[in-house]
Parts: sequence; structure tokens; C-alpha cells
Amino acid sequence: MAELTATPVLPPVRRFSMFARTVGGVAAIGVKELRGRMRGRRAFIILTIYLLLLGGFALMVEKIVEANYQFGFGGVQAQASPAIGQAIFTALLMLMTLQVVFLAPSSTAGAISLEREKQTLELLVTTPISSLAIVIGKLLSALIYVFLLIAASVPLMAAVFVFGGVAPEDVIRGYVVLIVTAIGLGSFGLLCSSVVKRTTAATAITIFGVLAISIGTIFVLAFWQAMASFDQNGNRRPGPLGIRAPTPVAWINPFMAQADVLCGIGSDASFGGMWCSLISGLVPSNDGVIVTDGGPVPIPGPILQPVPAVPEKGVLQFGRGIAAADVAAVPPQPFGVPRDGLWTRSVALWLGLSALFLILSVQAVSPTRRWRLRRGRRTTPSVGP
Amino acid sequence: MTDIVRTEGLVKRYDGTLAVAGVDLVVQQGEIFGLVGPNGAGKTTTLRILATLLEPSAGTAEIAGLSVTRNPDQVRRVLGFMPDAFGVYDDMKVWEYLDFFARCYAIPPAARRRVIGDLLELVDLADKREAYVQTLSRGMQQRLCLAHALVHDPQVLLLDEPASGLDPRARVELRELLRELRSMGKTILISSHILPELEELCTSVAIVDRGQVLAQGRVAEIERRLRFGAVLRVRLLLEGADLESARDRFAGDPDVASAALLEDGTIELGFRGDDAASARLLAASVAAGLPIVSFARAASDLEELFLQVTSGDREPVATASEGAPRWPS
Repeated sequence: MAELTATPVLPPVRRFSMFARTVGGVAAIGVKELRGRMRGRRAFIILTIYLLLLGGFALMVEKIVEANYQFGFGGVQAQASPAIGQAIFTALLMLMTLQVVFLAPSSTAGAISLEREKQTLELLVTTPISSLAIVIGKLLSALIYVFLLIAASVPLMAAVFVFGGVAPEDVIRGYVVLIVTAIGLGSFGLLCSSVVKRTTAATAITIFGVLAISIGTIFVLAFWQAMASFDQNGNRRPGPLGIRAPTPVAWINPFMAQADVLCGIGSDASFGGMWCSLISGLVPSNDGVIVTDGGPVPIPGPILQPVPAVPEKGVLQFGRGIAAADVAAVPPQPFGVPRDGLWTRSVALWLGLSALFLILSVQAVSPTRRWRLRRGRRTTPSVGP
Repeated sequence: MTDIVRTEGLVKRYDGTLAVAGVDLVVQQGEIFGLVGPNGAGKTTTLRILATLLEPSAGTAEIAGLSVTRNPDQVRRVLGFMPDAFGVYDDMKVWEYLDFFARCYAIPPAARRRVIGDLLELVDLADKREAYVQTLSRGMQQRLCLAHALVHDPQVLLLDEPASGLDPRARVELRELLRELRSMGKTILISSHILPELEELCTSVAIVDRGQVLAQGRVAEIERRLRFGAVLRVRLLLEGADLESARDRFAGDPDVASAALLEDGTIELGFRGDDAASARLLAASVAAGLPIVSFARAASDLEELFLQVTSGDREPVATASEGAPRWPS
């Protein structure tokens, strides 16, 4: 039998190499996960099918819009090409958002709890690998497939430039929201996985959370909207719940963020305008003016936008509201649609939430260095007796 | 020899229950140290504290001079841990499994390849290198898990019930493997309730029950210290009333706690003296003219000692004057 090496194989421990050690740990977990996940043809067959479906979907959207214009439903035929581009962009972006919103958290929801159930977590935490490296490694290796799907869609998405109507910045905005959403909801799934012991329960809680984020928030906004009332001038009046829902309710919804991106592609086309009106309907920004005894008071708010003195007629647009004429003192915006009001905040919120979720996950994974929630009574460690 | 594992007053409380109630252990370098006790005695909790998986409620634990609570990162580098229940990753080959743990210990790539080859040789899995881990037998998985605990060449190995669930052949192989590891200078802490195995394997044992160490030391020494309840079996060339009077004669000896006449005519003595005392008793009996056919100490092994020490409701026959174990109160 072979002798073990007599010389120590471990590199000396250095204080300043904490970062390098974390990166090494993340790499170790990543290599392990990807070896299991990407073995054989399965992953690549799934990717191929996914791209075929996505491409077929884009083609169908193109045909539908084209047909509409052919029979004169969409408007002037000369505008058909940008409309097709915008339609494909809208369809692909929303479809991919839907996919990310469900795929990212469900792929992380078992990351830690499965290790716990298979009794491999203890082997892992008794190595010098840090809990932070375990959490980050698990997140990245679970998300890497989601990122792969996103990256694989880029050439398909580039087809919108053939038709026009969508600027490269719009596409970049859309992808930024997609990636941040994947990280944010992936971290959420990971937190559920590390706090809840069983994978089935962790997955269920994650899915409920995702539904609350994507559908529940819309419901809350719509309910608030319904509770508000308008005076005879069309000004929003405070209802029993106040004048409007807290805007963070909208930021947390990735679909609202994407709607904001789509709103930005241009007000002239029906597709952009549709999303703008959806947002201004659900998230009244600066449009409403509270009429008090002292006169009109503009509502300060995070989505405050410069408002043009004279709104365009006939089109209801995000940021140009019902009562915009009342706020004549505000200087007019020179050109373009007011944009980036919502998705930037959504991205910032989700990056913050991701960091919070990951910190909590690290605490839940770490066997001994857990925060004491209550003094005097020690919490039961996650890897129990 | 130096102490490589040392615990002092180790206490672990779970909500309301006391799993470990003041365990003091001293393990010297190069030993195979057995932690013996019934299920729920606190063996696993003690090992988990040493493996930095649990924080003790009180007391200290050190491995190679490093506190497991203050320097868990350094401690993890000098110890290899094999839990009693462990899983293996699906969809992973044997060499990849070891490669993963070698990466966790930041072993450079060239050394990693060499260590994986050496370890697979050591645990006799070299021909299974490309096999998937889940296709291995239980014994092979156990050896693979042991190999994983060795990738970083640790000084101390903590093995929690390593022989459980193994067939006799796999047990023999495991035992040989542990002996070989000891010859490489590793200190091995092993918990088990399968006593004959520990008896053959271990250099020292600690008998644990209800979270306390009842006895600790070299196997032979513990046997000697605890043999206050030994049983002497005496066969005489007598019958009937003579046999009964002989029994009464034995019962009168100050070192004999009890004397019973068995159905086959053997007299069984509960004896509290040491070997010298039993020699004296034999000499006195022969001198008194008793026709003794055989006079023997009933075979006493670790298992018997263990039952004797850990049975809570049974008092020892007598308390030895020196080295008396601390009984659970």
C-alpha cells in the first residue's frame, strides 16, 4: 500500500489570503456542482430545446404582428417593422423574465437542504471552506445554468435589431433586470433552503414567496388603486388607504421592472405605450396632486419625474399624467419619454435584498458562529445532533 | 508522548436535556482511543464538539493545542472527521469525490492528483477510481469517506461509529486500515458500542454513560481497575451437604461478597479482591483440605465491564480502593 506523503500538503494559513480562500472555496463547490450537473448530453439537449422553443415563439410573434399590419389593424404599414421588433422584444423579455422568476429560485431552493438531507453538509462544513464560500458557490453554481439560458438567448434577442424599434440600451436594460432578478430570487431560494430543513418545504415556501412577489404585489397595487378616488378634475384623492400604494411594492416585482424597461422603448408604438399605461395605472407617480385647503401640493415621491407643460394628446403615458397641466411650474422635459423611473430602483432593491439573504444564509449554514438571536438561550445549530 | 486531544469539563445542553455533562478526556499522540458507551451516552455529541460542528455550552476542548471554539478554522486543518451517518454525492465519480474535498482544503493541483492516487491505494479503491460513488457498496463508501477525511493528511481522525452497518469482512478490513493509519502516526478517536472490536483495536478507552466519563485509561489498566466485580468459579470434588458447607466456608472470606451454589455443582463467588487475593484464597482453601478441581476467574472482557459500569440500576459488588470510577449521581 502506498504511503501517505510525509510532507504537509497544506499551504500555510495566511491572514491576508481570506479573499483567495473564499474564491478557492467557491471554485471547489462550483467544480463539484457543475461536474454533476453538466455531465453527459442532458444539459445541452435541454438548452437546445429551450432555444428552439424560444425561437419558435419569436417567429410566431413576428408572424402575428406582420399579419395584423397586412390587414391594416396595426396602423400604417410603413411602421410595421419597428412594431415587429418591439413585439418580439416584449414577448421574449417577458417570457424570459417568467422563466427566470421561477427557474432561479427553484434551482437554489434545494441547494443547502439537499446537502443536509443527504448528510453531506457536515462533511463540507468540517473542511476549512468558509460558510460564505459554501453559500456563494451554491448560488453561483445553481444560477450558472440560468445564466447560460440567458446568454444563449442573446443571439435570438439580437434579431430584434433586424426589425428596429428597439435600441441596444433597451436590450441591455432588459438583461440587467433579468440577471439581477436571477441573483435576487436565487438568493431568496437559497435562504429558504438553508433555514428550512427539508427540501420539499423549502421549495414550497420559495414558490409561495415568488408568487407573492410576482402576483401578490400586482394585486396589492390594483387594490390600492381601486381604493383611491378622483375629484372632478381628475386629481387623485386620498382613499381610506392613503393616496397610493408604497412604491417599493412595485419595485420588488421583476415584471413591473421589465414593464418599465418596455415602457422606455418608445411611446409611439402600441407596445411601449401599453406598458407605460400599465405602470402609471398601478403606480401613480407624480401625476396626482393632492388638493388641500392651501392649494395644490405636488406629491414628493421617489418616482418624481419632470413633467412636460403640454401633454401629448390621445396617448396615456407613464410620467405624463392626468393632471399634468396643473403643475405648470415644473419645467418641461425637452424630449423623449421619462424613463428609468422604476427598474433602476428595482435593481437596487434586489441587489440589497440579495446581500441580506446571503448574509442570513451564511449564518444558517455556519455550524458554530451563529448570531445569538436571544441572549441566554443558545440557538440549536443547523446541523443538529 | 504529548496530549493531542484534551477536553475539560465539556458540557452540552440541548433544550432542557444534558447530552454531555462534564467530560474530561485526554488522548495522547499516536493512540487509537475508543469512546465506548450505550446509545445516547454523549459520544457523538462529544465528537461533534471536537469536530467544530457544535459549540459546547461550557468547558474547553483542544486539538493539537488549538481551541475548537476559538480557532475552528485551524482545527479543521488538523483533523479529519467521519460522522456516523454520512451521505455521498450522487452523480460523482470516486476520484471526483476526493478531488472535491482536496479542493476544499486548497491543495494545489499537482499534489491533489498524487494524494488522490495514494489514498485510493490506501483504502483499496484504486480500481474503483472511475466508478460512480453511489454504485459502491456500504463498506466501500465507508472507506471512501475515511479517505475523504485523510486528504489533508490530518494529525487527528475522529471516527463516529465507523464499523456500524458493515459486514464482518468489511470490519476486519477497516480494522486493518486503522492499524495502518496508526502506524503512520495518526491519532484516532473512535466511538463505538461494538466492544470486542474496540478491545482489539484500541490502546486506550473511555467508558461514557449519561454524558459522563465513568472510566478512562489503557484497556488493560481499566480492566484491572474495574475488576472489583470479578466472578470466581470453583469446582470441588464434593457433593450434597459437603458442598454446601464448602460454600459457606468461602462465604466467610472477607474478599468474597457472595457465594452461590449452581445446579451443576459449581460454586460461583462474587469476588472483590485482586489477583493476589484470589491466589491467597486458593492457597487457604487447599490448605484447609478442600478437593479443588478447578478455580478460575470467569472470562471477563470489556463487554462485561461495560455492562457492569454502565448499568445504572446495578451497584458494583464493591468499590475498589483506588481508581474508583465516578458514578452518575
